[in-house]
Amino acid sequence: MNQLEVLTLFLFNIVVYNIPLLYGTVGEIIIEKSGSLNLGVEGIMAVGAIFGYLIGCSVNSLTVGILASFLCAGLFGVVFAVLTVTMQANQNVTGLTMTTFGVGLFFFIGKGLSGSWPVMTAYSNINDGFKNALEIPLLSKIPILGKAFFSHNILVYLGVVIAVAVWIYLNKTKTGLRLRAIGENPAAADSLGINIALYKYIHIIVGSGIMGIGGYYMGLNLGGSFEGSNCWINGYGWIAVALVIFANWSTAKAILGTLVFGFFNTLQIYSGSLAYAFPKSLGFLSNVPPQLYQALPFIITALVLIFASVNKKKKMAQPAALGLNYYREER
Amino acid sequence: MSKVKDPFVRIVKRDKIHPLLKVLFYCIAILAALTVGGVLLIAIGVNPLVLYKDMFTIGMLGSRFAYKSVEGLITIFVPLLITSLALSLSFKMRFWNIGGEGQFIIGALAAATVALKFGESMSSFSLLLLMFLSAMLAAGIFGGFVALLNVRFKTNETLMTLMLNYIALYLLRFFGETQAPWNFYLSDESVRPVFQKFAETAYMPTISIGKFSLNISFLFAVAICVGVYFYLKKTKHGYEISVVGDSANTAKYAGMNVKKIIVRTMFFSAALIGLAGGFYVSGAKVLSTSVTNNVGWTGIIVAWLSKLNTFAIFGVSLLISIMQYGAQAASTQFPIIDSNFADLLQGIILFFVLAADFFIRFKLVFRKSAKKQGGKAA
Repeated sequence: MNQLEVLTLFLFNIVVYNIPLLYGTVGEIIIEKSGSLNLGVEGIMAVGAIFGYLIGCSVNSLTVGILASFLCAGLFGVVFAVLTVTMQANQNVTGLTMTTFGVGLFFFIGKGLSGSWPVMTAYSNINDGFKNALEIPLLSKIPILGKAFFSHNILVYLGVVIAVAVWIYLNKTKTGLRLRAIGENPAAADSLGINIALYKYIHIIVGSGIMGIGGYYMGLNLGGSFEGSNCWINGYGWIAVALVIFANWSTAKAILGTLVFGFFNTLQIYSGSLAYAFPKSLGFLSNVPPQLYQALPFIITALVLIFASVNKKKKMAQPAALGLNYYREER
Repeated sequence: MSKVKDPFVRIVKRDKIHPLLKVLFYCIAILAALTVGGVLLIAIGVNPLVLYKDMFTIGMLGSRFAYKSVEGLITIFVPLLITSLALSLSFKMRFWNIGGEGQFIIGALAAATVALKFGESMSSFSLLLLMFLSAMLAAGIFGGFVALLNVRFKTNETLMTLMLNYIALYLLRFFGETQAPWNFYLSDESVRPVFQKFAETAYMPTISIGKFSLNISFLFAVAICVGVYFYLKKTKHGYEISVVGDSANTAKYAGMNVKKIIVRTMFFSAALIGLAGGFYVSGAKVLSTSVTNNVGWTGIIVAWLSKLNTFAIFGVSLLISIMQYGAQAASTQFPIIDSNFADLLQGIILFFVLAADFFIRFKLVFRKSAKKQGGKAA
């Protein structure tokens, strides 16, 4: 491979392998904006992934797969909503249980089906629908960037569209404003007559559903093959929790943040070939331990957390009531 | 469910609940969870009764005492018990230390560093002492740092400890996967990166009772359990923790130094988890990249299921360890089942217990008693 090809492939892979992060992050931002800290991203993505994949394969349709991952993950989100909103259970504990349960369910179903697990290549609509790139006219003709950013599968575009749509929804609509009010000060929002429980339920469900699509995407990226020891989500749910902070609770910044975190994720795999293709300028990459790339998203987020709290002038957009349950008679 | 106008049902806090009713609610929750788990098992063609029996007897049939099984159970139980106890200290204070994974790793790493550096040159007793002290100190600082940031700058402790979990994990993996002359953590003999086994002086001593060899970390764990109970119930520190947990403001008005209490408690909490990590590697005789076996996460579930009650933590962590070990033991008979089923079942149990908590803390008041003209509605 020549230098241009290596570079193009590197950029292309940043997008392809990391857009699932964007789904997880956008879903979590919606939920956190309603004042709920949901640490179950990993588990919700796993549930969306496995049901989306199995149901999608059973009817051989990518669209059905996407819808199924959305609906099943959303349905799983109902558990979080019932427990934390109605039943006032602790959000941290409930969220962690969502992860334990969701990942456990992923393996349970996978192992249960072991013999009859659907092979992705046997389902032409899903296989081709996912692998075939949709080229955006004109933009995809730009050298390097065209192939890297404007020639992708449908789920990449869908992720970006959802992120932009959610940004508009949160910042430019009345309902979005109300939602943010709930996250900042539920008692005040309640006194305005906003139905807090309803808002929280809807946004927890929709946010979980979006995470589920991201999980489905990860499964398709791995060719839909079930291995007994590795969950498809592989810690991306936790990176998404970090990315929410890095993106400062903005779904627009989350797109950029996905590329930054994705850059490190991809370097971990491609540092060798980049160093080989550009021995003079990037030769040092092969000496950097891959674990550093894996740790960087978390290191950066920890630093962001520290600096943002030290520097009071530049306030973070973290919802003030994040993680606190709202019980009307205690306000 | 709760419309602003004319609510059909309202949620009201209970003043008190009969202890027996409380126990009944929890029993119903666990039975319901086992039933749901059973339905799932039937769906994949496994007889739930047989599996549950295998699981909860950890593969011991009748009265036969399986030495190896109990020894294996103890290696899972000790780290989980100590970690859950330690987490309960900070949770009592409503300080969300979800960094158990990271603190456990740092403790294990510190103990392993001492074991590998001084294993040949020290007597067993002083080596073990140094290993455990450095495990506690390293993990304590690792966790105390977050508390310091929290009291000084209000840095969110949940998110911060979460990030540190992964930073610690990749640090451990870095030592476990990087072959280099400086890296004394790895064995020289293997071509692939493999952790170096400790010298015999670093092994946790065992007491032989017939064929059964009891790892003495079990005795330490029991002692820690009793110690935590007295610390929380009978000392000034314990009282301060519970006041801060109830209300930080009350504690402030009472003249307590809330910041100091939070940092100190978090240091102890993390140090204990680090000690659990030190115990574990000393018993395992070698470091591993999967050293935590998820105790940092499971410990949170245990602490919460136990309502932060010290002796309940002992029982619940034993139960969870039996489930985990039992699921592995049952996998010989049911190839479909592995430790992931234990995770799944834990999740289901906790969901139902969280729901039971609701019915213990609150009661549902229907429209009739909420509104005067509600007579018709009932």
